[in-house]
Amino acid sequence: MAAIAATALLLGGALRIDDRASAAPTTRQLVRFGLRELDAARTGDPARYVRAERALRRALAAEPNDVQALIGLASLANSRHQFRAGLALARRAQRVSPDTALTHAAVGDSLIELGRYDEAFATFDRLSELKPGFASYSRTSYALELLGQVGPAITAMSLAADAAGGQGEAAAFARVRLGKLQFSAGRLAAAAREYRAARRAAPGYVEALDGLAHVAAARGQFRTAIRLERRAVERSPLPQYVGVLGDFYRAAGKARLAREQYELVGAIDRLYAANGVATDLELALFNVDHGIRLRESLARARRARSERPSIEADGVLAWALMRNGRCGEALRYSKRALRLGTLDASKFFHRGMIERCLGRNAQARLWFSRALRLNPHFSLVWAPVARRAAA
Amino acid sequence: MRTLVLAVVGIAVAAAVLLVRGPVLDAGQASSHREAPMIAEDPTADNTDLYAYRSPDAPNSLTVIANWIPAEDTAAGPNWYRFSERARYAVNIDRNGDAKADVIYRFRFKNRDGALFLGNTVQDYTVTRVASGRETIVAKGVTPPNNIGPRTTPNYRQLAQAGVFNLAGGGKVFAGQREDAFFADIGAIFDLVAIRKGTGNMGGGKDFFAGYAVHGIALQIPISQLDDRDHVVGVWASTERPQMKIRSYRTKSGVKRYSHEREWRQVSRLGNPLVNEVIIPTKLKDRWNSLSPATDAQFVQFYRQPLLAAVINQLYGLGIPETNRDDLVQVLLTGVPGLNNTGAKLADMLRVNLSIAPSANPNRLGVLGGDLAGFPNGRRLTDDVVDIAERAVAGKLLGHPAGDLLGDGVDGNDVPNLGMFPYEADPPSGFDNVKGQQKP
Repeated sequence: MAAIAATALLLGGALRIDDRASAAPTTRQLVRFGLRELDAARTGDPARYVRAERALRRALAAEPNDVQALIGLASLANSRHQFRAGLALARRAQRVSPDTALTHAAVGDSLIELGRYDEAFATFDRLSELKPGFASYSRTSYALELLGQVGPAITAMSLAADAAGGQGEAAAFARVRLGKLQFSAGRLAAAAREYRAARRAAPGYVEALDGLAHVAAARGQFRTAIRLERRAVERSPLPQYVGVLGDFYRAAGKARLAREQYELVGAIDRLYAANGVATDLELALFNVDHGIRLRESLARARRARSERPSIEADGVLAWALMRNGRCGEALRYSKRALRLGTLDASKFFHRGMIERCLGRNAQARLWFSRALRLNPHFSLVWAPVARRAAA
Repeated sequence: MRTLVLAVVGIAVAAAVLLVRGPVLDAGQASSHREAPMIAEDPTADNTDLYAYRSPDAPNSLTVIANWIPAEDTAAGPNWYRFSERARYAVNIDRNGDAKADVIYRFRFKNRDGALFLGNTVQDYTVTRVASGRETIVAKGVTPPNNIGPRTTPNYRQLAQAGVFNLAGGGKVFAGQREDAFFADIGAIFDLVAIRKGTGNMGGGKDFFAGYAVHGIALQIPISQLDDRDHVVGVWASTERPQMKIRSYRTKSGVKRYSHEREWRQVSRLGNPLVNEVIIPTKLKDRWNSLSPATDAQFVQFYRQPLLAAVINQLYGLGIPETNRDDLVQVLLTGVPGLNNTGAKLADMLRVNLSIAPSANPNRLGVLGGDLAGFPNGRRLTDDVVDIAERAVAGKLLGHPAGDLLGDGVDGNDVPNLGMFPYEADPPSGFDNVKGQQKP
């Protein structure tokens, strides 16, 4: 299969028969290898980002305008949360081959994370005009979700699931996103159905295990939740899964096990940082949520937001500011975080906490009940707080 | 020398074929922000082959067979294959040479709920005929299930034949899984070192597509509904998907709001074999696939100066003409004068002269082999388009000596065709999977 894929791409630029005869890998083989390492890195082995980069850079050195290598490197930069570098590479790919639909996907992906939403949506529209399909539907769905249009977002993502055809991983990706869309609206049974469909499409798909664990936890079935999340962590030791596992242990009354997981998050994070993955935003959110090193986390959140001024970063910074008692500034970022009209119960809850901190209790209660109405299970740690405060 | 030439031409064609037909790369799983897998493949929308010919057993009809979904592995359960419910499939026919469809047969499929094994690969479908601005439903059909094995899908021949339906106003239709009638030796021609001895124009290759299935649509349309004075029709198959577009607008009070809209967009098309694979450069493939054949004049340089000819010469100095290849333009874009020409309009369509009777002894090389009822006058299941394409690019029509030597050594399909509608053989059953370790 690898050989065939490499061959399949042979004709893309020029045939490089001479390379094949010697021991040196062709550009195609390097790109292929790089993309495979990138996939592996994303599922929890950050050391492979370095190998992916080396291969893709070598490919690009051999063919400076190779669209696949450029898209691969852009995607790699985004994986490392270096979205400005990702945007520059994706723009290069776009200039080299504006009629290749995937170049617009890569550009839009970076723009989204940089908070440049109008440009991102216009780019996704170019993508979907050129070639409606999995790549366009999944991105259009995300855009619609950010705009608070959950119904159309579900429609678009179900088109993506259809366009995945028999491709298990792509189908599983779309199903997991559908599950999360349902979960974000508090619909647990519908979410579980999608996560199970994801597992059928790609057995062992980690995000589906994580999703089912969240559904179980929301139903108070912590033993099941722990069992599923542990399997997710074993397959893919990403910091967010480890942190979630800690939350489940804590909710199940196992404080020591929870603490172990929480300590692990910091350790794994250092591993990512050592492999060039910027994790400030994710770690800041985790720490702020769990009351760990609040002042340092605020600095992290600021740093992350300057690198990546998305509504996600706005939201984390608002929450970090609030938890450090700086509620006036927090309100400014909370408004930014909600400026697209996104329906996100956590962000509603954070806003409620900020309003309360500013002494506006009636406003605060409104935001708490909005959060709970949207998704009573939005956070194992904070939903109970919201319930008490809304009462 | 000849071996090397065969290998080069073979690799180019094989590579190109696999670019569209090859199995799909695994997609990555998402990390903490959204990372949609960077896949570009869309197998259920992907046109793999198109055939159009007068069959000896139905000489008063035009038979059209259009295939989708490359390299279906019938033993790859539990992920079976179906047409997309959300795409729109079409067989387009131009009657007057303007490269715009005068008759469209449009297909929409619907899944059935039910048990995983048998039930859910059966699909209901509707065939709509669009002509003179009118849409008429001409058939409602049901596909047979995937051929899973003798216990799940026993008597597959009968199951398949139950999938033949009549078209209102005359003709027949079938849709469902079929054995891939395409044949080519991808494996050997890829491997420069171990190229199979004695192949080329001497046979003896291995059919890479043996054991794989596709999803096919077969139509038999009375010639009386299509024929006119010049007798030549142009055929192409296409797939459309709905574009979902984010639209922003300002309300009266100046507030920015967003909405979305849907519109059908073509994502794949196929007229002549191997055009997408061999002629159209990678960077333009997405655009080319989105366009109507009526706009093909913009691509004429890639026919007149085919990359493939230049590459062969660069590496092996065969002296194949690299420029001014009006012979290829004729075969692929206008039709051959005196055979199936449709005028000056440049368009990639499979052109069939409806007045030429089916051949009693078909030659796999079609017109190149002196058989006017075969490719490029339409295309039959048995026409060896890889060999024809290799020889044509090598200058056969210009009398160049390389034009007689080339071939991939696979001269026919690994299983016989049915000899009756829907012609393409039943798919190999998953249970009887013969591919073993050959799986790519």
